[in-house]
Order: sequence, then C-alpha cells, then structure tokens
Amino acid sequence: MRVRPVDFSMKIISKLKASIGCIMVTLGVSCTSTTVDEFRQGATSLESDESVVILGRRQASDFETKSDFVECVGERMGEGENAISVIPEREFIDAMFPWFEPRTAPLRAGDLEQLLAEDVVAQKMNEFGIKYMVWVEGFTETTGRTGSISCTVGPGGGGCFGFGTWEDDANFDARVWDVTSLKNVGTINADATGQSYLPALVVPIPLIARVETNACNRLAAQLKDFVNGE
Amino acid sequence: MRSKIKTQLLWSKVLALLLVASLMGSCGVSYLVIEGSFPTPNINKIPLSMAIFYDDALREFSYMEYSETGREEINIESGESHIRLFNAVLPAMFEEVIEIEGMDDPMVQEVDAVFSPTIEEFQLALPEKTKLDVYEVWIKYNMRIVDRSGNSLADWVVTSYGKTPTATFLSVEDGINQAAIVALRDLASSFSLNFSQIPEVQGWLNTL
Repeated sequence: MRVRPVDFSMKIISKLKASIGCIMVTLGVSCTSTTVDEFRQGATSLESDESVVILGRRQASDFETKSDFVECVGERMGEGENAISVIPEREFIDAMFPWFEPRTAPLRAGDLEQLLAEDVVAQKMNEFGIKYMVWVEGFTETTGRTGSISCTVGPGGGGCFGFGTWEDDANFDARVWDVTSLKNVGTINADATGQSYLPALVVPIPLIARVETNACNRLAAQLKDFVNGE
Repeated sequence: MRSKIKTQLLWSKVLALLLVASLMGSCGVSYLVIEGSFPTPNINKIPLSMAIFYDDALREFSYMEYSETGREEINIESGESHIRLFNAVLPAMFEEVIEIEGMDDPMVQEVDAVFSPTIEEFQLALPEKTKLDVYEVWIKYNMRIVDRSGNSLADWVVTSYGKTPTATFLSVEDGINQAAIVALRDLASSFSLNFSQIPEVQGWLNTL
C-alpha cells in the first residue's frame, strides 16, 4: 500500500526533471550571442611557408589573458579550410626566452624593431618563419549571480534543491602585427555573452553558456580570414 | 527495525569521524616544493668566466605562509628551483661558469669573478585573502659579485613578480607553484637582460 504513491511521485519528479532539463538546455543554447568587429589598417597575405604566432597579453595587474584561450584560438586557426601554420605560444615564448616574458614583451609594433636588432631574436624569428604576431588580450567576467542552492547529506543519502543563474561576458581583442613591416595591421574584437543556469532537483544540472568557446571560435575564424587577406 | 537503527547509527558515526578527520586535516601545515623547468635564455654571451656560489640559505630557502589567525598554513620550499634557474641562466650569459663550494675553493683563482645570489624577502598573496582572482608571488634578491680576493665588485637588488589566475580545478598548491615559476622566469629575464646595465657592473666591465 505504501509503495505505489512513492513510485508515482518518483515518476512525476523524474518527468519534471527531464522537462526542466530540456527547457533549460534550450534556454542555455539560445541565450549566447557573439559579436565580432574588425578594424583593418593594412593589407595582409600569408604564403604557405609562413606562420603566425598567437600570444596572450599578461601585463595588466588585475587580470591576465588565459593561456587556454590563446591555445584554443591557435588550434582553431590551424584546422579546417584555409588552415594556417600557428606556432604554439609556450613553444615560442620558451624559444625566445627571456624576450617575451610579461615584463619584457614588446608593447607596441614599433618596439619590434629594437627587439629584432638583437641577432639572436631575429635568427629565431626567421627559423619559425613568422609573418604575423597576434596579441590576444581579454577576460571573461561573471555578473548577475542570483538564486541559491542548498544541499543536505544524511545517513539515508543526500540531495540538492534550488536554482542559480549568472551571466558570463567574454571580451577579447586581437591585435595583428606584421613582423616584416613592423606595423599594426589590424584589430579584431570578439564579445560573447551568455546566461548560465544551475537548477538542482536532487542532482544539480549545470547548463553553462559556452561564451569563451564561442568567442574563441569566432575570433579564430575571423583572424584566419584576416591574415589570409580575405 | 532494530537493524535499521543500528545501520543509521553506524553511518552517523562514520560521517562524524570523517568530519573530524577532515577538520583535523585542514588544521595541518601543507608543504609545497616549487617545481618547474626553465628554458635556456636566447641571449649573447658576455666573455667572462664566472664562479657561482650558492650558500646554504639559498639552497634551503623556504617560506612559511601564516593564516589570519597566526596559524602555520603553507610551507613553500623554493631553494632547489632557484638553483635550477641559475644553472639554466648563467651558462647562457657567460662564456664559462663553474660552481664552487666557498671562497676558499682553489677554482676561484681561475675565474674573473664570483657571483653569489641571496633571497632577502619572499611574499605571497592568496586569492582567499586579497579577494582577487590571482595567486601572486614577490621575491626580492640581493645579487653580489666579488673578485678573486673577495672584494665587492657589484651589489644590487632585483625584485621579481609572478601571478597566475585562479581556475576551477586549480588547487592552491598548483596556483602558488605556477605563480612562483612565473616570478622565477621574471627574475631570469630581468637579471639576464639588465646585468650589463647595472652601473657597478658596467663600471667593472669597463675596467676589464
């Protein structure tokens, strides 16, 4: 007699969880938007034997560009149609050590002239075959955290209940320097915003807006076209 | 029914023990040895033969971070990592580098000068205390160069700084380690690129 109501309520809870999950997945996907702006200052083209290096800016005191994001942009540029040769950031910085550390890296395209006057630096740059140096700077900010989730654990088991939501804004700038002309040839900005949800009905179901991944994909695609002169 | 109560009591005891164990564990000091590798600097060599002397204070350097209540929290050992760094940097800076055990080492007579670095200060900033999303490490060094007789040729201070952002799966120890490695690389870059610009060093190099 006691078993039936429990089964019935469990079925309702399970259906409710599935429905909420579906709704939230739909909301989560539809609530991410990305804007890309391009500002070109010079002509670009890339030969098959030339390569690009993507570097993260780490001079700011309150934030630093994540190496994961820089790596993501590099990987996306190196795959698919019109793939280009991208030197991995860590490999380049280690090979150029100590010229591209946070305190010693050039801040303006004009500073490259002084840097390339060092024969050891110029030689290494030629070995890599670098035509363009891309400086990526930015971060992801989380705002508007609302809701609450409480979890309890007891001898009979545990569970969580509640709802949380927040907004993520990933804003990244990419400045493209021409290593040959020692000039800034353009800037691309990618701004992705998205709402994330965390409903918890016994088990928390994170529905994360993938703003950084979207910003990375769009920035990489735009950069690839930019350096190819398209 | 009785067996069910017994099982629940047993579970409660296990949970209580786990809670006590975790609380006790959180009261202990965690030990961290800074680990990482350093690339060889890509710079032009200075035509000098230099001896390097690492004293025990540098070899065994460790820093204790205290909690806000004064409890010992994290012990950071960075002596070995400093030696690894200098061993990677100095051979790229000078034509010849040898390591000596002290100023009475006979090898001292075969070099142009003896270099001896010491750590004067080590500071750590943790996100839980600063409320910033970065781990930060500051290190202040005293760099000394003496001639074969032990007379001072140059004595200057170098500060280095390293930071690393917090991340979801980054432990406190890994965060400190990464920030310390950035600080050590910062030391290597400022030391190797600015060495010849230090007025005392410049004056000494002009006499050679």
